Amino acid sequence: MIFQQLNVIPVILLMGSSLSILISQRWRYTLISLAVQYLAVFWLVALVWPVGLAAIKLVVGLMAGALIGSLQPSDELVEEKEASISGRIFRSLAAGLIWLVVFSIAPGLMDWFPAQPVILWGGLILVGMGLLQLGMTTRPLRIIVGLLTVISGFEILYASVESSILVAGLLAMINLGIGLTGAYLLAGPAMKDLS
Amino acid sequence: MNAPLIWIILPLFVSIVLWFLKERSQLVIWLASGFCLLLAFLAWRVPVDSLVQLGPISFTISSTLTFLGRSFILAASNSAFLILIYLIGAFWLFGSIAAGVPNTFVPLGLALISLLVAALAVQPFLYAALLIEMAVLLSIPMLVPPGKTAGQGVIRYLIFQTLALPFILLAGWAAAGVEANPTDQRLLIQAVVLLGLGFALWLAVFPFYTWVPLLAGEAHPYVAGFVLSLLPTVVILLMLDFLNAFTWLRVYPLVPEVLQLVGSLMVITGGLWSAFQRDLSRLFGYAVIMESGFSLLAISLGNQAGLQVLTASFLPRLLALGLWALSLSIIGKQGFVDFDSLAGLLHRMPFTAVGFLLAYFSLGGLPLLAGFPMREILLEGVAQHNITVAFWTLIGNLGFLACGFRILAVLVKSNEKTWKIQEKWTQIVLLIGGGMALFLVGIYPRIILSGALNLLRAFAHLV
Repeated sequence: MIFQQLNVIPVILLMGSSLSILISQRWRYTLISLAVQYLAVFWLVALVWPVGLAAIKLVVGLMAGALIGSLQPSDELVEEKEASISGRIFRSLAAGLIWLVVFSIAPGLMDWFPAQPVILWGGLILVGMGLLQLGMTTRPLRIIVGLLTVISGFEILYASVESSILVAGLLAMINLGIGLTGAYLLAGPAMKDLS
Repeated sequence: MNAPLIWIILPLFVSIVLWFLKERSQLVIWLASGFCLLLAFLAWRVPVDSLVQLGPISFTISSTLTFLGRSFILAASNSAFLILIYLIGAFWLFGSIAAGVPNTFVPLGLALISLLVAALAVQPFLYAALLIEMAVLLSIPMLVPPGKTAGQGVIRYLIFQTLALPFILLAGWAAAGVEANPTDQRLLIQAVVLLGLGFALWLAVFPFYTWVPLLAGEAHPYVAGFVLSLLPTVVILLMLDFLNAFTWLRVYPLVPEVLQLVGSLMVITGGLWSAFQRDLSRLFGYAVIMESGFSLLAISLGNQAGLQVLTASFLPRLLALGLWALSLSIIGKQGFVDFDSLAGLLHRMPFTAVGFLLAYFSLGGLPLLAGFPMREILLEGVAQHNITVAFWTLIGNLGFLACGFRILAVLVKSNEKTWKIQEKWTQIVLLIGGGMALFLVGIYPRIILSGALNLLRAFAHLV
């Protein structure tokens, strides 16, 4: 099957998209990268789940991104001041360290966690990059995207040990809930008339 | 008819109805708190899985609701915790009448309660992690009402609670493996560590508790109080559920030691930090941390006395936290939350000041107040296990009390000769009621001990 033959591609996509999320200064680029990230998540989950069930991850991820995007206030189009080049280099180096750690510990982890190497790489990269993102920012958009990234990484790993439809559905609800919460946190300050 | 329909689905439905009525806030508060009282009464009087005779009609309320192959079970042994949860709900929702909370609080609060009950009822209980995460997400609009910007505390709360989810779900997978193969030591360690990390994040255990004082300082005191009292209580009950269900977890030798270490660290650090705190809202956060620490210490005793102390502490703790949160809400409306602005508050708002002090000292374990009897028994139990831990726990507790005496000195300091009463009558009634309840439980602790024993019926393997 094509997913199996090209199974390193989603890992590369995940590395690229999560790095882009980490260093991007424009929320549109962040959300596009998030969409690409969910495509790769779908690809990896499809290695162990039926494609139809794995597609839930893609659909839900795109919906969560759309929720965040639709309520991003217009005055926040330029998300934050352009960071200096040194800031981006620092973030890229930190991401490089995460990748290094992931590829170093993955073989050892295979004794503990029954999953294919690509699934471990993909899941751990997303968890690591998500935690890095969470640790480096206080902005709601970045926090929510960071949380979605961590949860996506976990979902890749968890898919290899649990294939329950109910769990998939509830995790989809959690993803949508996080997206909705992010949208609320972004739009909340402008909702004064409702308070 | 089944029990989860009554105690989970129905409150969820009522919360949706109340959402559309939220502009009529007084009505919504009365309806929601009355409904919670009704549910608590039903949990007390209506037998589950037995024949109920109502005149010519007879029916049975089944304990189980099956949904997509999974079950929500609220058996007769769970009636005590249903009574506890819905009494807490009624107490907090009714108190909001005097606290000036946003009008979204009551409907969202009721929905939150029903989700937490669902988390306690679901089988297999790894699904509880998903339901608790939903409750956490639902609490965000309560903590950050429309028009407000989310602060660091709320953001960190969201992060830490969400990060607990993967750990608990993976622990559920590892636990199933251990059940199938109890001799696999590697899987056993994996399950214990994952479960420990998940609960540590949920309970804001040392060192993951930085968000608690921040959240308490940022959100409306009453709303923060509601979330910070309800969530840890449910997580503690869930922890007991896990310990009750898994023999390998119960007998794992490191579990009591780790619980004791972490619990005492929470009490010590929480108590010592609070000694230097000058903001009453943040101080509330430290009180919550200390209470979670005491809960862990009680579980670490590993005997019936410890568990009885734990469950018997729920009511005094929730009473004190509720009274504190209400007092803070009233004080906060006047714009006083730090020490400098509190001088002479006793002369300006005597009921609020006294209510606050009673709540504070009850949580500090001062004699004659509700927190004292259980605190005394707990410290005695800890001392029998490890005198050093008991000593340092006492030091932490003394740090908390020292801050209480500082507050007392500030509150009474005044040049004013006259007394004013600025509180509304509803606030006065609730403050007096709360204060008297703290005294009553402090003087007659046996009132709550029988209830505590009933609560433990749900955990047959632990007692």
